[in-house]
Amino acid sequence: MADTQLAQRTRTAQFEGQIRPRFSWFTDRWIAISFLTPTMLLLLFISIFPLVWSLYLSFTDWSVIKDANTAPQWIGTANYLELLTDNRTWQRFVVTGQFVVPAVVIELLLGFGIALLLNRKFTGRGAIMTLLLIPMMLSPIVVALFWRFMMQGDGVLNYYVVNLFGLEPILWLSDRYVAPWSLVIVDVWMWTPFMMLISLAGLSAVPNYLYEAAAVDRAGTWFRFRHITLPMVMPLLLIAIIFRTMDAYKLFDQAVVLTGGGPGRFTQTASMYLYDVAFGQFNTGEGSALGYIMLIVITALANLLIRALNATKST
Amino acid sequence: MNYEKKSLANRIGFWVVLGIVFFFFMFPLYWIAVSSIKTRTDVISRVPSYIPYTQFQPTLDNYTSILLGTTIESDTGVRASADLSVFRDRLTNSVIIAGLSTLLAVILGTLAAYAVSRFHIRGESDLMFFILSTRMLPPIVVLIPIFLLFSNLNLRDSYPGIILLYTTVNLPFVVWMMKGFFDEIPVEYEEAAMIDGYSRLQAIWKIVIPEAIPAMAATAVFSAIVAWNEFVFANLLNRTYGATVPPWLNSIIGVGAVEWGRLAAASVIFVLPIVIFTFLVRNYLLRGVTFGAVRR
Amino acid sequence: MADVRLKNVSKRFGESKKNDAVMAVKDLDLDVADGEFLVLLGPSGCGKTTTLRMVAGLERATSGEIFIGDRSVNDLPPGDRDIAFVFQFYALYPHLSVYDNISFPLRAQNMSKSEVDEQVRRVASRLKIEHVLNRRPNRLPSGEQQRVALGRAIVRQPQVFLMDEPLTNLDASLRSEMRVELKHLQQELGTTMLYVTHDQVEAMSMSHRIAVMSMGVLQQVDTPLEIYNHPKTLFVATFIGSPPMNTVACKVVDGHHLQGIENTFRLTLDPSYANRLANTKEVVFGIRSEDARLVNDDSAQLRGTVAVREPLGDETIYDMDMGQYRMAVKTPPRQIFRPGEPVGVAINLNRIHLFDRVTGQAV
Repeated sequence: MADTQLAQRTRTAQFEGQIRPRFSWFTDRWIAISFLTPTMLLLLFISIFPLVWSLYLSFTDWSVIKDANTAPQWIGTANYLELLTDNRTWQRFVVTGQFVVPAVVIELLLGFGIALLLNRKFTGRGAIMTLLLIPMMLSPIVVALFWRFMMQGDGVLNYYVVNLFGLEPILWLSDRYVAPWSLVIVDVWMWTPFMMLISLAGLSAVPNYLYEAAAVDRAGTWFRFRHITLPMVMPLLLIAIIFRTMDAYKLFDQAVVLTGGGPGRFTQTASMYLYDVAFGQFNTGEGSALGYIMLIVITALANLLIRALNATKST
Repeated sequence: MNYEKKSLANRIGFWVVLGIVFFFFMFPLYWIAVSSIKTRTDVISRVPSYIPYTQFQPTLDNYTSILLGTTIESDTGVRASADLSVFRDRLTNSVIIAGLSTLLAVILGTLAAYAVSRFHIRGESDLMFFILSTRMLPPIVVLIPIFLLFSNLNLRDSYPGIILLYTTVNLPFVVWMMKGFFDEIPVEYEEAAMIDGYSRLQAIWKIVIPEAIPAMAATAVFSAIVAWNEFVFANLLNRTYGATVPPWLNSIIGVGAVEWGRLAAASVIFVLPIVIFTFLVRNYLLRGVTFGAVRR
Repeated sequence: MADVRLKNVSKRFGESKKNDAVMAVKDLDLDVADGEFLVLLGPSGCGKTTTLRMVAGLERATSGEIFIGDRSVNDLPPGDRDIAFVFQFYALYPHLSVYDNISFPLRAQNMSKSEVDEQVRRVASRLKIEHVLNRRPNRLPSGEQQRVALGRAIVRQPQVFLMDEPLTNLDASLRSEMRVELKHLQQELGTTMLYVTHDQVEAMSMSHRIAVMSMGVLQQVDTPLEIYNHPKTLFVATFIGSPPMNTVACKVVDGHHLQGIENTFRLTLDPSYANRLANTKEVVFGIRSEDARLVNDDSAQLRGTVAVREPLGDETIYDMDMGQYRMAVKTPPRQIFRPGEPVGVAINLNRIHLFDRVTGQAV
């Protein structure tokens, strides 16, 4: 009988003398350390160290071109004082803010709206959704290139502005009042899919039984939206807003390709200004200080948003 | 709410609105694609044309020109606006740099993520937040010191420099993504293997890694896209050697008359891998764009 | 073959100085004899799984010593303890076939291919899973996944089986089938078995002995019938048995009389109890539902009204309203009382249980 054989084999099984696993000296502790070390070294060396160096430089008067062979000269907070008393600095942050707020708000509303639209079953849903998500995966440079092509003076957009609506051609990228909005339009095209994706995740996470319970209680559509959908989706929307705000604040690539900061300096964002100070004028110390001002602003902003997020989570 | 039968008006309205949305997001993509197969005359024509063969005669000249460096007949007499023949080299550089930096980031980040996921590490949440915060910095802030650092170490205009940089840029993402995935792989798998006589390293290699392969692939795709698309650092650090496509695309339009047809072809070639990748990782998109913070 | 001994084993989670430290297991002494089927039984969070994981080497004991056979295994990694572990969710590797899952532990031992094959097929035929050897485990019904997990455990012929609620994820009919089969398998292999469950039916039906745990403390180790008939603590008494044992707090008066706290009843015990109750003022009185009868004559010591009637077919359980407390009584199916009807309850005084109200220990 196979069964009794098995039982006998079990009894004669010898454990002693079996080879211990290789690398047994390689304890969990050592595994943890050696797994973490390369990542930590790279982050320290290429993220943290430059940050500290940048902090030091921000208190110096130094130019990578002119003063390459001399040590940076310590000038205390002079760079910060100069920047903060300079109207241009504030102007760049205003430009950035005037881009970030409308862009994020429109993306949020549009993305959430599209998510509501797509939150039902229909043929081709998966394919259509994936196609709609392509813009956010593209390089900002390429996106800007596409739109610059369409927005140039004799581009396809103006053809319809003139021939369909009978208006004068719009100077999308070179009119000081229109150009900032063109940046918003391009950003909306690129990042609305992001808001849509996250909103959809929130909507599909609302359990159906809540709607059924509400329907049994004879709640109207608006009531259901206001008291079931919105509160359930809110935390996710806030996460999306945090991601988008932090990202839009860094705006650089698209603006460089689309307007180059022009006309004049009307679309020069904080990031572009920093680039100009550091690598156009080669005021390395001042550029570093501007970088830290940007960092402080974004940290404060992130903190505010995260607090708002925690507040909605706890209620 | 799907138990309610939608009315006809509802359904028509739905498709009309969806059509408008779809048109808004797809038009620029279509416009570039269709422009890439037009002759110079058709591209600069004031009247837009959309349908090949009926409205215009399509041509692959833009593609052959951009990839093989050949000139197009209509070029004669027109001043070449910029050197378009380097596109192929740029593309090769982009592939090498995105590929190697992704490989490194995924390997190193996966190891770190495993350690954070499985071992009790003091200050674990602080560590994870620290890792994340390095990614949330505006890149422009560390641009100056990175530039100086790379200048001093002779890492500018080199492959290793930019590869290490992109690895570092992607590491926080990989760690966060893979930690999320590892947290979802039951610890019992390794425990079972370790009880069965394997060491932890063997258990990782034989059990955990095979389980995590799809997640690693998705994470790699996202990392590769970031490296592929990156502009700011590439534009500053690798100007002569190891230069990638995005700075080139930017430089082209700054100079004289723009060859939109060939630029469109270059864009299509540059964007095509992204579109394919997007379809490959479509089920992971949500996790990918939120650092694994939002799962379905 | 080996016995398993735990000497004064404790497990603390969290740092000792901090307040969030939790004692999962306290000073546990337990001997599992060679070839014995011992079940660790208790509610969730009682420390039974932690105990099992310490024996497996997946958790380190904070203090105390664990022996498998003659070896102290405290410092041995799990792979060196010569044990097999069956997890609650089976932990079958989804990317490997059933065959590779079962052969996985053998391949760790550098066994030749033909020998591995022989072993796997023998185990598969014993467990009747030959037909699924080439399939992926996560596509199998849960009953077959369970068998594959067992196959992976028995194929390496370990000294000890450790099983953590292996039947919890099966539906009721499969579970009772697997109970019989597991017991049969253990008898046949004669391998020592340490089995964790919260299901008293599994514990009662399968084990040689049951070790009941609560809050990290071992309450009682005994044969199933001994545990049922002579629970040593109030916890064991109420945890085992369905419906749970009826209990009510009483004062001891006049040596061998029990009086309800609110003067609701008075019960006279045999005078021989006077000695046992000499040092106790308050006790918890316990009686199992089958040791009481519903009667309409003078033999009733207590009176109440019928609150709920639960006919189960082979018997009927009456939930009695006794004023300040409730009581469940099992009766033969033909004896019918209506809700609201006043009835007398006759208690079999030979089958009562008494526990110290403060310590919970049997008196």
